[in-house]
Order: sequence, then structure tokens, then C-alpha cells
Amino acid sequence: MKSPPSVPRNLRIVVVNTASGAGEQAAAAQARRNTALRIGLLESGYDIVASLPADIFLPERIAQIQPDMIIIDSESAARDVLEHIVIATRDEPRPIVLFTDDQDPSSMDAAIGAGVSAYIVAGLQAERVKPVLDVALARFRRERKLLDELSDTRRQLADRKLVERAKGVLMARSGLNEEEAYRKLRSMAMNRKLRLAEVAQRVLDVEDLL
Amino acid sequence: MKTTLQAGFMPLTDCAPLIMASVLGLDEKHGIKLALSREHSWSGMRDRLLNGSLDVAHVLYGLIYGVELGIGTRAVPMAVLMNLSRNGQAITLSRALGEAGVTDGAALAAQVRRSRRRFTFAHTFPTGNHAMFLYYWLAASGIDPLRDVRMATVPPGQMAASLAAGHIDGFCAGEPWGARAVLDGSGFTAATSQDIWPGHPGKALGATAAFADAHPQACRSLVAALLEAARWIDASPLHRDATAEVLASPAYVNAGRAAIAARLQGLYEDGLGRRWQDPDPLCFHAGGEANFPWLSDGMWFMTQHRRWGLLREDPDYHAVAARVNRVGLYREAAVLAGVAAPATLLRSSVLVDGRIWNGRDPAAYISSFANGAPRPVFGHGAPQ
Repeated sequence: MKSPPSVPRNLRIVVVNTASGAGEQAAAAQARRNTALRIGLLESGYDIVASLPADIFLPERIAQIQPDMIIIDSESAARDVLEHIVIATRDEPRPIVLFTDDQDPSSMDAAIGAGVSAYIVAGLQAERVKPVLDVALARFRRERKLLDELSDTRRQLADRKLVERAKGVLMARSGLNEEEAYRKLRSMAMNRKLRLAEVAQRVLDVEDLL
Repeated sequence: MKTTLQAGFMPLTDCAPLIMASVLGLDEKHGIKLALSREHSWSGMRDRLLNGSLDVAHVLYGLIYGVELGIGTRAVPMAVLMNLSRNGQAITLSRALGEAGVTDGAALAAQVRRSRRRFTFAHTFPTGNHAMFLYYWLAASGIDPLRDVRMATVPPGQMAASLAAGHIDGFCAGEPWGARAVLDGSGFTAATSQDIWPGHPGKALGATAAFADAHPQACRSLVAALLEAARWIDASPLHRDATAEVLASPAYVNAGRAAIAARLQGLYEDGLGRRWQDPDPLCFHAGGEANFPWLSDGMWFMTQHRRWGLLREDPDYHAVAARVNRVGLYREAAVLAGVAAPATLLRSSVLVDGRIWNGRDPAAYISSFANGAPRPVFGHGAPQ
């Protein structure tokens, strides 16, 4: 009997392979980590949508695939290629996870501090991969939420200032009291289907002219 | 006082002062010890500076300002302790273009306009020197670098191969990669960076502001040691030759001496039959002029970041440069090394398009470029 279709959407992950051009030893080490990582991911039930070479077509492929997360070796020269993607997609960021043998927790903090949400996978035993990625994703989402809230708060503050100034202008010019001025702004906003802050800005613009 | 400094470098010819300061024992002469660390990527180097694995680094001037203002990364206060080199980068175009007679910017612009396929150019890092010089040169030739062509970030070690394979039409990077492409026949030198901006700043000696604030003595000693190393390298062709020999080692640049030595001496071969002794090649000291952390240099990168939409708002250009570029510390180090330091903070240059940059009016400078206003959001609407 078929089980009911209740599978939550799997995280779509792209793994970036070892960049060529690294020294022989470094390349071998990277390749080893890469293989261990992919085994760990697959065993944890993650969906590796693609395992991409670190070449010039990487940004295009990432744009086509639109993964939820990108994983790359922290020693890879291709990290700068990813930087290009990070900046080009900075309004719609996605978590980038670095993997390494480096056990140092401060590396992780710095990588996260660098703005790409990243995490270091030390050891790479298969059972360690899932919790690491879960934490990386959770951190990423929390940080995005905080950043979005921050920018919303800033915008609301700016809007409120505009409205205050516009009220002041109406009160000075038309002899209205504060409540009346506010009502006037609000009713224009509703009639014209504009935001209150937009109407306020128009009042201030006209004031600049006169 | 902190005596051992973890110093990161990228395997490029212009890491020379850092390497030679160590090799010649100039670090120990000034009471410090350099622990050199070869890095794999600019992103990785940035991370290691931020997490303290590296104390200082040979780093793209533009990258420092990108981190300071949080472009694609969280903003972290940074410091430029000195400038390590001038000139000596290059724009290399594919052999196919050269054979088609496209040997300069104007011809390239005509080709881009008439061609039905999209041209691709590569640089080393989105906020870095090579990206900014490439964009500047393309724009000066009449090509919009973000709309008319495709841009890619490619690790320098892959540049020549990508060119040969036809994946890119040209790249801007540091030496020895320009020389390498000419030597292996994959490309020709269309312009040197000194053609674009004679005397432009190169790699900076960068650190986090926190490190510079916490260890002023060590930083001062380091700058003094590097000034002596830079002066030594520039002192004679013999010294430059010895430097090329050292750099060729697998521990440092790991490239053939041939690819390093000639251009380090200023001897160029462009791959189209032209050979010349450049009057203004890669240089490390210029009597101290090259090393001074001019505020106008830092400001230039910010104006270009703003021009291309990497910065979405105008920063206070002068104030940011004044806090990042550690002029006071540099002047003290210069005294230790017996190097004269300029009295002013701004210098004036004329770039390839005839524009003057002197740091005096950044807003006007940005407005002076085509279409007046700085462009909107990088990446928004531009197929990258």
C-alpha cells in the first residue's frame, strides 16, 4: 500500500566541487572532504540537486538551479566565484555553507560575520552533517528575519517622520489642528490609493517649491 | 608587544615586499617575526583577517573598503596600514580577438556592438582593484561593463586556461597571469594598469581596525620593515632579479621565473609582436610616494563602488578614508625606516579617459561619468 504524500519539501542543495589549480596535496584533501561530505548528505536524506565544477559557468548554473543552499570547501579558490553570486543576489540571499577539517569555532563565527551564512563541518561523519546543516539554516533564517525587521523598523521610522513634518506644514499653512491635518492626509491617501508616507512626501515636495 | 605576525598573501608578483621582508630578515631587524601564510581565495583571506587567524595581509585595496562598508558582507571596521605596490597589473584579451585586429578599447567596443554573442570578461573579486580597473577601462572605451558584456569572477590560476578555452574574452588580473597568457599564446596584453591610471594604488597592507588599534607598535614595526623591503627591491635590476628568483619558489608565487622576472623589470612583450621597456612598471617604493596611504586612493575605490551600484548610498568619502587609512601610524613607521613622507593627504592623477581624480569632490566626480547619476542596484535588471 502506498504511503500518503506528506513528504516535506527537501532542502535543495548544490555542492561545489574542488577547484582545479590547487596544489596536488590540497586538491586531494579537498576531493576527500568533498566525497565524505556528499556521502554524509545523501545518507542524511538531503537532496543534492547538483554537484557542480568550480568553473566560469557556476553562477549561471546556480541561477538556473536556484538551490536553497550552496556548500563549498572553505579552502576552494572558487569561493571568490561565489562572492560574485553573493553580491549579484544580495537582495535574495541564500545560505552558503563552508566545509573544512578546521576544528576552530572562531572560523565559523568569522565566516558568519562575513555575511554569507556559513558553518564549518568538522569531522564530516555522516550523522554530524544533518544537525550542522539544520543549525546553519536556522541561523540563516533568523538572521534574515532580524535584518528584515531592522529594515522594516527603519522604514517605519522614516515614514513617521515624513508624516509628522507634513502635518506640521498643513497646520502652519492651513491653520488646521493636528487631528485635522492628519485626517486630511489620510483621506487623500485613501482617495488616491497611496500610502500615507507618499502623500506626506508630496506635501513636503510642494512646500519646497513654494 | 606582539612579536609574531600572521601575514597572509596571495601568490602574485606584487606580494614581493612581504616575502622579501621575511627572506631578508628585515622583520627581525625591527623586532617582529613574519609568519607568512599563502591564501587560496580573497574571500578566504577576508574571513581569516576577520576571525583573527591572520593579523595582516597583502590584500586588494578595494576589498578592504568593501568590507568597511559592508558590500556583500557584514561591515567590519578595517585599516590600511600602507600601500604595497603601484602599477603592473594588466588587461589581457584573447588571441582570437587579437587575430581579428581587436587590439584596443575602441576596436573592442566596435566588436561588442556588432557581435551577436555576448562577450565575457573576468576579474578577481567583485569589489577589488582588477574589477574596478577593468570596468573603468571598458567604460572609457564606450562599453558598459554591467550591461553590454557579461562579468565573471575567476580565480587567477584559471584565467589563462579560461581564455584559451574561449570561455572568456579577456581578463584583468595581477602578474604573473598576464605574462603567462602571453607566454602560452592564449592572449595578448591590450592595456597595462598603468595605462589606465599611471601610479595607481595596488595591494594594501590590510588589517582589521581592531588589530591596528590593539597592536600599534607591531604595526609600526611591520610597516617600517616593509618600507625597507620595498626600497630594497626597487633599488636595482639586480635586486629585482633576485626577488623574481625568490618569488618563483613553490612556497610563494609558484610560477616560472620567466613569467615573473621580465615584467618585474618592466620589460613587456604584448603577444602581438610589441616589446618595450615600460617607463612606469610595477614598483614598490618610489621614494615612499608609492607606500603612502593617500586618502584619495581609498576614496577612489569608494567612488567606483558607488558608480557601479555596489554601494547604494553615498558614504562620507573623506571621513571613511580618514579612519581606514592609518596615516599617523605610517608617518611614524616612515621615520623608523628613514623614508620621507608626503605632507598632504590627497594626490592628483589623470586617468585614461582624461579625467582628473584628486579626492576633492567625490560627488561631482561620480556625477561626471556617463548619464550623470550613479546607476541603481548592482545585479538588479542586469543579467549576471
